[in-house]
Amino acid sequence: MALTGLEIYKQLPKKNCGECGVPTCLAFAMALASGKASLDTCPYVTAAAREALDSASAPPIKAIKFGNESVIGDENVLFRHDKTFYHPTTLLIRVSDSLSDDELSLKLQEIKGLEFDRVGLHYSIDGVAVVHESGDAARFEKVAGIVAAGTEKSLLLLSSDPVALKAALVPLASRKPLIGEATEANYEAIVNLAKENSVPVIIKAEGLDALNDLVVKAQALDYKEFVLDPGSRTPVETLANLTHLRRLAIKKKFRPFGYPVIAYTSQTEPLDEIMEGSVYVSKYASAVVLNTSTKAHLLPLMTLRQNLYTDPQKPIQVEPILHSVGDVNENSPFYITTNFSLTYYSVEGEVETSKIPSYILPIDTDGTSVLTAYAAGKFEPEKIAEAMVACGIADKVKHRNVIIPGYVAVISGKLAELSGFKVIVGPRESSGILSFSKTLS
Amino acid sequence: ERFGHHPLATKLRISLSVPTLTENTSDWARLNMELRRVLKAEDKPIHIPLSVLKHLPESLRKANWDVSVTLTEIDSGFTVTRVEPGNDHPPYGLAIDIGTTTVVVYLINLLTGEIEEQQGSYNKQAKYGDDVISRIVYAVENEEHLLGIQHAVVDTINELIDKIIARKSISNLDISSAIVAGNTTMTQLFLGVDPRYIRLEPYIPTMTSVPSVPAREIGLHMIPEALVHCYPSVASYVGGDIVAGTLVTDLANGEDIILFIDIGTNGEIVLGNQDWLVTCACSAGPSFEGGGITFGMRAMPGAIERVIIDSETLDVSLKVINNLPPVGICGSGLVDCMAKLLGAGIIDRAGNFQLAHHSGSERIRATPDDKEFVLAWAHQSGGKKDVVITENDVKNVIRAKGAIYAGIRSLLNMVAVDIEMISRIVIAGGFGNYLNVHDSVQIGLLPDLDTDRFEFIGNSSVKGARLALLSQNAWREAEELGRKMTYVELSVGATFMDEYVSALFLPHTDLSLFPSCQ
Repeated sequence: MALTGLEIYKQLPKKNCGECGVPTCLAFAMALASGKASLDTCPYVTAAAREALDSASAPPIKAIKFGNESVIGDENVLFRHDKTFYHPTTLLIRVSDSLSDDELSLKLQEIKGLEFDRVGLHYSIDGVAVVHESGDAARFEKVAGIVAAGTEKSLLLLSSDPVALKAALVPLASRKPLIGEATEANYEAIVNLAKENSVPVIIKAEGLDALNDLVVKAQALDYKEFVLDPGSRTPVETLANLTHLRRLAIKKKFRPFGYPVIAYTSQTEPLDEIMEGSVYVSKYASAVVLNTSTKAHLLPLMTLRQNLYTDPQKPIQVEPILHSVGDVNENSPFYITTNFSLTYYSVEGEVETSKIPSYILPIDTDGTSVLTAYAAGKFEPEKIAEAMVACGIADKVKHRNVIIPGYVAVISGKLAELSGFKVIVGPRESSGILSFSKTLS
Repeated sequence: ERFGHHPLATKLRISLSVPTLTENTSDWARLNMELRRVLKAEDKPIHIPLSVLKHLPESLRKANWDVSVTLTEIDSGFTVTRVEPGNDHPPYGLAIDIGTTTVVVYLINLLTGEIEEQQGSYNKQAKYGDDVISRIVYAVENEEHLLGIQHAVVDTINELIDKIIARKSISNLDISSAIVAGNTTMTQLFLGVDPRYIRLEPYIPTMTSVPSVPAREIGLHMIPEALVHCYPSVASYVGGDIVAGTLVTDLANGEDIILFIDIGTNGEIVLGNQDWLVTCACSAGPSFEGGGITFGMRAMPGAIERVIIDSETLDVSLKVINNLPPVGICGSGLVDCMAKLLGAGIIDRAGNFQLAHHSGSERIRATPDDKEFVLAWAHQSGGKKDVVITENDVKNVIRAKGAIYAGIRSLLNMVAVDIEMISRIVIAGGFGNYLNVHDSVQIGLLPDLDTDRFEFIGNSSVKGARLALLSQNAWREAEELGRKMTYVELSVGATFMDEYVSALFLPHTDLSLFPSCQ
């Protein structure tokens, strides 16, 4: 387990000088414990303390960087609600060197098109895995060259033949590809190849025991830029292996498994393959190699990845868009509240009880309640007027009335001026909505 | 006391030799030399402000070279604040607590340390808003507003000072120092410092450590050159009043972990020991002080402070402060009332009224807006109307107690300390004087620990001001505390929100935290 803030605090100089940007040493220690600060910002930390903290706070899973800004590993939890998952799974599309040149250029074209814009976010595929299946070292080198020329994305060069791998890697070393795979049979050659070119390397063995042995042997070559492959190629086995690897690395601090893990899909039917990929994205695979490169298949997988890797340490919020309760029409009353879910649902519940179809617009207040948001300047008339325009309420209702919470009656004048709506000050408590709604004509 | 007696201001009777043609050093050099000898000041400088210097020649000669000199002492040296004909009045100091709602001033005899007089009244800033937020909103509209709101609190304090000196038959020129403790907003408004960014994310106060200023700059009725010291703040919502309270509780001087809670609107909490201190403000809201509750009021005559409900007949018996007909309910009454409503099955653990189970009783009834329980009928009450507690009131109290308990849990989480490791829970706030620990635990306001670990200290803010007034060491420790306390921002991360939601239940959704309630 990582050190707690108090344990780190004991090692700090306790000067409370604020030079690290936070007011006290304890605050700095807590930021260190949660990985939000770096020890380097403290100018007074002693060498002894630095050593103690560096080794104790070493991440349970090493961060491995390769290619075009791909970062894998560096995770701390088994469940995202415990803290968060940090580095979204790197998705790679598999390209075999046994494809013809025409097939290859078609595939590259398809990969290039894998960019999506959705709900204001941009999704893209991270890289291409060039797989040596032709048996011909020259072909592997050539295909790797073509792929590298055809895309800016991160590369994975996959061959168990050290000679072919070296031929493909050397011209592309500046792209810093991930290479593989080092097995019991070839690990010395391949790990040394990775070491010479300063690129990360996949260590592959059949099963966890064999993987442990091989990692220990490979580490003896004085190189540690590893990605693990436990060799399983069925979803059930892979799920089990991924879980064991993550759990041992984090819960037991089992150092040989303190590296990110790569998984390969095995299903040939694309829909099944995406299901399989979804399991790996959910369960700790740091990189997944996929066969399909069709947009329709990959969009849901990338959406899932995006959802899983959002930070759950955010207040509970509802979407700040216009909500309607019941069968709304052009005469429906229009309520304003905040997007804090406790606040929103108490309003929605009462509006529902009133049996009058109504619109409710939760203002984006970062998930804070009405009075909290008002206190922090997040429920200002300017912002509300803007949100009213943005939600298009003026086209949805005939009337020009907006109902605001009674506790913020003070904003009514300004809001009326800015929005052009008549501002009706509603009850202070949502429990008053029922009787209040009866007064609305 | 543990800090020793070494006040921030002193008064010395000095007899100077009369200048002659052969002993012709200047007035100030003559006084300075004698002060240095008496004070054993060594290499500490002694300053004299121009305003005092201007009157020095006449003061010395009128007094026939026998004068009383008042000095302020701070780390960097001494400052002469007044020279007057020799007298033996003791020097006085003021301990001032600027609360958002009430202001309290103690007159302290700096020789004996005794509280010689005390006065309190409502903060006149109330006309600009009941809470700190609305006052900030008002104050930042323009320069005039800021000045107006500053004057309001200075006037409040001056009226209290005038009352005190009238009763004691002393002069305001006998008052030689003052220490002010207040929350961060109160401190900034008292000094006329722009409070705009206190309430805006990321919630940054202008300063935490406050320079000492001469009274004339603020206009306090005391020696114009005497220094007014403000307690340092920690962050926007943990201010000097809490630092003062922390000093009083002696939190930072032992190995035992102590929890200090100010049960008030801001709900500040401090946790720690000699090695570390963390603090947060959990915004409990004003319900324990009577705000936001239909018949809520401060703990004063006519306030219900104890409630007993017969769970069979739902008959009610009340204890009212000064045994008057009840007009409302104060914080301790509310806590009691919640526990009893729950005990009698009138509300469920979520605070919902159980109308159906009690359809036979007249006391429990539904109005168009809400459901309510009648505590006192109109004919028994002081206000000639039914005194009730509504479902909304109950929910408000649940939110307030939920916030405080969630704040405690969040701080404990933050430093990975188990609740059982807390050896003492110190409760401050006017409300704290009346709180029933058993009831508080029953509703989940306070953690379920042995009653003997709880302690009430009342207004710790003014007590802290007095401590610092009487001791250089205490003042230094106060300044050190301000730097040492670590503010935890509860709006960052999900911990507080999860804890808060879990605490919106009587006593809690996790009953294992409240073994005595099972």
